[in-house]
Amino acid sequence: MVNLKIDGKTIQVEDGITILQAAEQQEIKIPTLCYHPLMEPYAACRVCVVESISGKGSELVTSCNTLVKNGMEIQTASDKALFARRMNVEMLLAQAPAAVPVQELAKELGIEKTRFKIKDPDEKCILCGMCVRACEDIVGASAISFLQRGQHREVCTPFGEQSEACIGCTACAFFCPTGAITVEDLHGRKVIHSELDLGPSTAIRVPIRQAVPMVPFIDEEACIHFKTGECKICSDVCQKEAIDHEAQDEEIELEVGSIILASGFKSFDPSLIPAYGYGRLDNVITALEFERLVNASSPTGGKILLSNGEEPKSVGIIHCVGSRDENYNEYCSRVCCMYSLKFAHLLKEKTSADIYDFYIDMRCFGKGYEEFYHRLLHEGTKFIRGRVSEVSDMALSKEEEGKLIIRVEDTLIGVVRRIPVDMVILATGLEPGTDSNQIAKVFNISCSQDGFFLERHPKLAPVSTFSDGIFLAGTCQSPKDIPDTVAQAGAAACEALALADKGKFDLEPITAEIDEELCAGCQICVGLCPFTAITYDKEKGISEINDALCKGCGTCVSACPSGAAQQKHFRDKQIFAEIEGIFIE
Amino acid sequence: MAKIKKEKEYRVHLMVCAGTACVSNHSFEIKEALETEIKKQDLDNEVLIVTTGCNGFCERGPLLVVQPGNIFYQTLTTKDIPHLVEEHFLKGRPVEKLMYIPPEEKTPIPVLSDIDFFKKQVLIALRNRGLIDPEKIDEYIARDGYKAMAKALTSMSPSDIRSEIQKSGLRGRGGGGFPTGLKWEFVSNAVSSNGNVKYLVCNGDEGDPGAFMDRSILEADPHSVIEGMVIGAKAINATQGYAYVRNEYPLALNRLYKALDDAREYGLLGKNILGSGMDFDIKIVRGAGAFICGEETALLSSIEGRLGEPKPRPPYPAEKGLWGCPTLINNVETWANIAPIINRGAKWYSHIGTETSKGTKVFSLVGKINNTGLVEVPMGITLREIIYDIGGGIPGGREFKAVQTGGPSGGCIPKEKIDLPIDYESLSDAGSMMGSGGMVVMDEDTCMVDVARYFLSFTQDESCGKCTPCREGTKAMLDILTRITKGEGTDEDLTLLEELAVSIKDSALCGLGKTAPNPVLTTMKYFRSEYEAHIRDKKCPAHTCRDLNVYTIDEDICVNTGHGCDLCRRNCASDAILGERNQPHQIIQDKCTKCGVCYDVCKFGAVKVD
Repeated sequence: MVNLKIDGKTIQVEDGITILQAAEQQEIKIPTLCYHPLMEPYAACRVCVVESISGKGSELVTSCNTLVKNGMEIQTASDKALFARRMNVEMLLAQAPAAVPVQELAKELGIEKTRFKIKDPDEKCILCGMCVRACEDIVGASAISFLQRGQHREVCTPFGEQSEACIGCTACAFFCPTGAITVEDLHGRKVIHSELDLGPSTAIRVPIRQAVPMVPFIDEEACIHFKTGECKICSDVCQKEAIDHEAQDEEIELEVGSIILASGFKSFDPSLIPAYGYGRLDNVITALEFERLVNASSPTGGKILLSNGEEPKSVGIIHCVGSRDENYNEYCSRVCCMYSLKFAHLLKEKTSADIYDFYIDMRCFGKGYEEFYHRLLHEGTKFIRGRVSEVSDMALSKEEEGKLIIRVEDTLIGVVRRIPVDMVILATGLEPGTDSNQIAKVFNISCSQDGFFLERHPKLAPVSTFSDGIFLAGTCQSPKDIPDTVAQAGAAACEALALADKGKFDLEPITAEIDEELCAGCQICVGLCPFTAITYDKEKGISEINDALCKGCGTCVSACPSGAAQQKHFRDKQIFAEIEGIFIE
Repeated sequence: MAKIKKEKEYRVHLMVCAGTACVSNHSFEIKEALETEIKKQDLDNEVLIVTTGCNGFCERGPLLVVQPGNIFYQTLTTKDIPHLVEEHFLKGRPVEKLMYIPPEEKTPIPVLSDIDFFKKQVLIALRNRGLIDPEKIDEYIARDGYKAMAKALTSMSPSDIRSEIQKSGLRGRGGGGFPTGLKWEFVSNAVSSNGNVKYLVCNGDEGDPGAFMDRSILEADPHSVIEGMVIGAKAINATQGYAYVRNEYPLALNRLYKALDDAREYGLLGKNILGSGMDFDIKIVRGAGAFICGEETALLSSIEGRLGEPKPRPPYPAEKGLWGCPTLINNVETWANIAPIINRGAKWYSHIGTETSKGTKVFSLVGKINNTGLVEVPMGITLREIIYDIGGGIPGGREFKAVQTGGPSGGCIPKEKIDLPIDYESLSDAGSMMGSGGMVVMDEDTCMVDVARYFLSFTQDESCGKCTPCREGTKAMLDILTRITKGEGTDEDLTLLEELAVSIKDSALCGLGKTAPNPVLTTMKYFRSEYEAHIRDKKCPAHTCRDLNVYTIDEDICVNTGHGCDLCRRNCASDAILGERNQPHQIIQDKCTKCGVCYDVCKFGAVKVD
């Protein structure tokens, strides 16, 4: 315990506390600006100065960082202390006139007006360093620091650039005593203002507003904890203790009777068609980008806007981008016509733009689709039959200036036209997923020529594959729209259920077998078998066929050098006998 | 240990000064000229040219000292060299016209030690200046170098070393004047939180305007600093040292790097020094030239790679310094004093100086003084002796007005106190401080308000900006002082200036802020009338503050003595002078920009400034 005298009162306090804490215990208020109980004392604002009187004389000390000592005599509001305190507050009032805590403190100390030159009447930052210390000491991110010195000192990110170190935790704004740092919630992303231009993405976020399930996740690349091992401030504040930083990615092995593949598609990349200017010209966007734009949770809040923030006055929608084109994909992607019509309808509804729809021929194949097309015709969308040859920004006339020009042959009137528009939407086609070949290999199924998974039979077994128990649903099998996908998925589920219900499955009657006597153990067949039905038995030194996996394709039979592999019902002997039979006559 | 080979012997050694001042005065060209000339005269087996560190008499550079004989040649040019070599080194006749002639005298003084500038100096920290080549460790060793270190490492215990330093009375030469031995004792007693790691730091971040003591020591005798540091390391049991030197000192850095390499090669640094089992090494950290980094806590932050800004003390670096470990920080000059104390004993050292301040102090003597340069004098010497005997007085026969000591943290001492014996206490009683040893001499043409304004502009520019009084207060003071020098000051300004000065001195965070008002406080104390003249009469008594000057032409003198020479009119850039030849000239005050050209060009003293 330490004995000291504070404002004339002798008190006893525990060792190791500061004068400020001792005064607080006595309910003596010492004003502070840069002090926060959660942080190390910084002793920069010099507002908490008190007079310490000792045998050697008296001196001013900052109460926030000076520890109590035995025999100390402190006067918290002596003339000397008040003089310096007033002077410092008066200076801060000139430096940051808009800072409310400084204004209040000035009032309390009886300062009406500062005698010093006011640099910026709107300045709020008092350079107390709370934000910097919070970022460094509490969060461990060190995304902001002081820049320059003296009069030019300011809080800033390195080189004043957006800082990758910022995790968007907003601790700086939380600790800022004057509101010099503010945070704005911009469409689910936290943007920190003041002079700080910090990064837009937080380490913890929900993927999109309409995500299912609506659960936040931690982005390990942005999370300070995964970089430094510090921080973990999120788990400290989470009352449900739902955050586990030690959670690891797991691989779960499940034993199942059947598998339904629904691995989807990839949208065609229109930058492969340079003439359409995607990625090169502003306001040329893909269908999926338009979908995002028009969505209520989009960055524009569902408004259809050009890159300069204005509403388009004319829009062109180009069909068959990457589909029905021998340079890219020969097949029809089936869904583009209908979604393009939907876009035209939405554009009519939300804007007053002129809409041009460039099509080869309209494929409105489903229930109610043709009627929708007719409705669009009545709504006033201008349909132009012809394949667009080019989108450019090279104006030839005054009215084309600043616009995108679509060059197209209107095959109904037989003229090449130039149509200036503000926005071009490319109705991109559907392509097999980039990893579809790999998936096919894993599941022992095949791909058709266009790269989509091959069904066992186009008419009789459209959801099955050549591997038993593996079924297909949706666009991984072929381009299709939502109703078709749902129907196919239902069918695949039924097939899987039928298998499960039976509890067993039928073996192929015509499988291959290996004659143990003849097999030399060369293992040629093992590598060739497309169904991985052949294994090599090391002990016996021969290959063996699993009857349940063998589909009787005969590959091993034709490859076997010693004639050990034979197809049941189609043995060499039987085939030769059949051939002989043909030639008897 | 490397083999010591027998050096070739020469008849004459030419010591060419290669301190920064002489180098910028082309001393390397002098050296080249000497080499060619000596070769030409076929003397290269008899004459050896040595480049030394700063000789101290920078005013007279480039310098050359001939040994034996201690003959001092000054203000040399390459043209002088052929004559000098032929006369002196071939024919043996020293060249008088290249020797030093004291101001207002006619006979040259040939021998260095007879010159007043050198006569009154006592060299301890600068003991090897001008005598050795700083880049040759053998020459340092030959002058008893590393002898003290060997003594400390082999026959003294850490507590012996500490008590010897304590008994010597040595105090920190960086400015604060804290007893060095006591500081060592604190660090030695401090408990390190990290095993028993302690650090040792050499503060070479010399930033005072006009001060260059540390630079000269590092340039002239880097090994003396290294030796001191090794002894210090033994005394506090440290294994790692840091030398923090500002990057603006390229020559000092190069020589220190070389010295460290050589010392390592000789086994005088690194693992198992001199076979004593002690390990110690020194790393150089180059500072970016911020004045605040001379403050010890800011310096440590800078070494740690953090923002160079001070931290509140306590905890002092002796308890919690570099990376939280006890750290011993001493200034370059302090380190250079260690080896002689160990060598010759505390008793010898404590004989020099005054009651409270022992030993010698190096001052850089600059400003309005004849003999600009670096001087090492015993404590207790009077200002008069430094300024008139060593410094050779004020040029142009002008009157001495004040001397500013301690750099921007110090104050101005007026001529009334010229017989003040210099030590830590007397200087701080006079309102100034010892500081690192800058001494700026001012004459009657110096405006004290302008001097205060200059130092304030320096401190406010160098303030780190962490604490309010220093960041905002120094700027506010500078604003007021600028107003006063422009003639816009009021009596309230003077009151506010005083209030600010007191408040900043009392409440700033670190030494920089606490001492920043000193130049203002001392000038207000001793030269208040000058402030009042600026404010009330709108006049600058020294005619330095341009905005307050009024130029007029005495028409009588102009016509009668100068016959209306018209020189002023032709030189006036703003067409503010009317008149023609043989006619009186006049200045149109509205047009006059107060540049002072007319005053400078008038040969007859017809232009008056008021």
